[in-house]
Amino acid sequence: MNGEASSSSPQSQTEDDKKSPNDDDQHGTYECNICLETANDPVVSMCGHLFCWPCVHQWLETRPHRQTCPVCKAGISKDKVIPIYGRGNPNPQDPREKLPPRPAGQRSEPEATNLLHNFGFGGDSNFQFSFGIGAFPFGMFASTLNFNDGRPGPPQPNSPQQAEEQFLSKVFLWVAIIFIFWLLIA
Amino acid sequence: MAMKRIQKELLDLGRDPPCNCSAGPVGDDIFQWQATILGPADSPYQGGVFFLTITFPSDYPFKPPKVAFSTKIYHPNINSNGSICLDILRSQWSPALTISKVLLSICSLLTDPNPDDPLVPEIARMFKTNRTEYNRLAKEWTAKYAE
Repeated sequence: MNGEASSSSPQSQTEDDKKSPNDDDQHGTYECNICLETANDPVVSMCGHLFCWPCVHQWLETRPHRQTCPVCKAGISKDKVIPIYGRGNPNPQDPREKLPPRPAGQRSEPEATNLLHNFGFGGDSNFQFSFGIGAFPFGMFASTLNFNDGRPGPPQPNSPQQAEEQFLSKVFLWVAIIFIFWLLIA
Repeated sequence: MAMKRIQKELLDLGRDPPCNCSAGPVGDDIFQWQATILGPADSPYQGGVFFLTITFPSDYPFKPPKVAFSTKIYHPNINSNGSICLDILRSQWSPALTISKVLLSICSLLTDPNPDDPLVPEIARMFKTNRTEYNRLAKEWTAKYAE
């Protein structure tokens, strides 16, 4: 089919052609790679592929464990796409912030830190060993080593609070050792 | 979303049809298509006209379309139900793929079967060990069922 015939043929006068009669060269340049329409709330991946944010978001949700670019299969993620702001948008907003809202960070309230048993190793050293069984969705248990993570320092020496904390530390240290031992033999 | 995208693909297929393939809705239901593939010239399927059914899921293009041969074909990756063993129709599906690209992939699967990931082990074995007999049977089935 040659160009002349197609442009004169009434059947090829589609809705798209009517909307934009004189930008045939640009046809398809700014189409979302998923819905194939002109990208709405556009974002571009690091690999350079253009999508509507709602489209690529739905794709990332569809395969949460293997998030790949639909076009080139490069690894992509919510935080590795760049929003595109065109001229004429009076209230530019990062499309990633809307529809749907980004999931909130997971943070437990201070009370919940009672689950984490801390033992200071005295003096000014801020070395802490945290050990706990949490309700975090992706693990039954977690062990972390924290260095200088901003927790309050150890209490004054010889205070009743320190004695109590030291006692608790020893108890929880033994609980931790027994638990690790149980993990090893289980 | 799914319906809009399928309509867009139908429009693009009309504008720029892939060679040796055609596709379109069967009736009023835009989610049910029929496609035809002409047997590629450099294959034993040459001369055959193969019909396929395409069913779009409601969450298309996030899920792949279901594509199956309705014409019987002798091929290591297509079984007697017409099911096609093709990675892009399962795990390797991407919403950037279109029916046009899927049909082209099926065309190239006809030209180059993949006997290492067979759906019909007997045909795969025949393809690997006795290519002449495979070609003869594929041609025979094409003449019998696809012409």
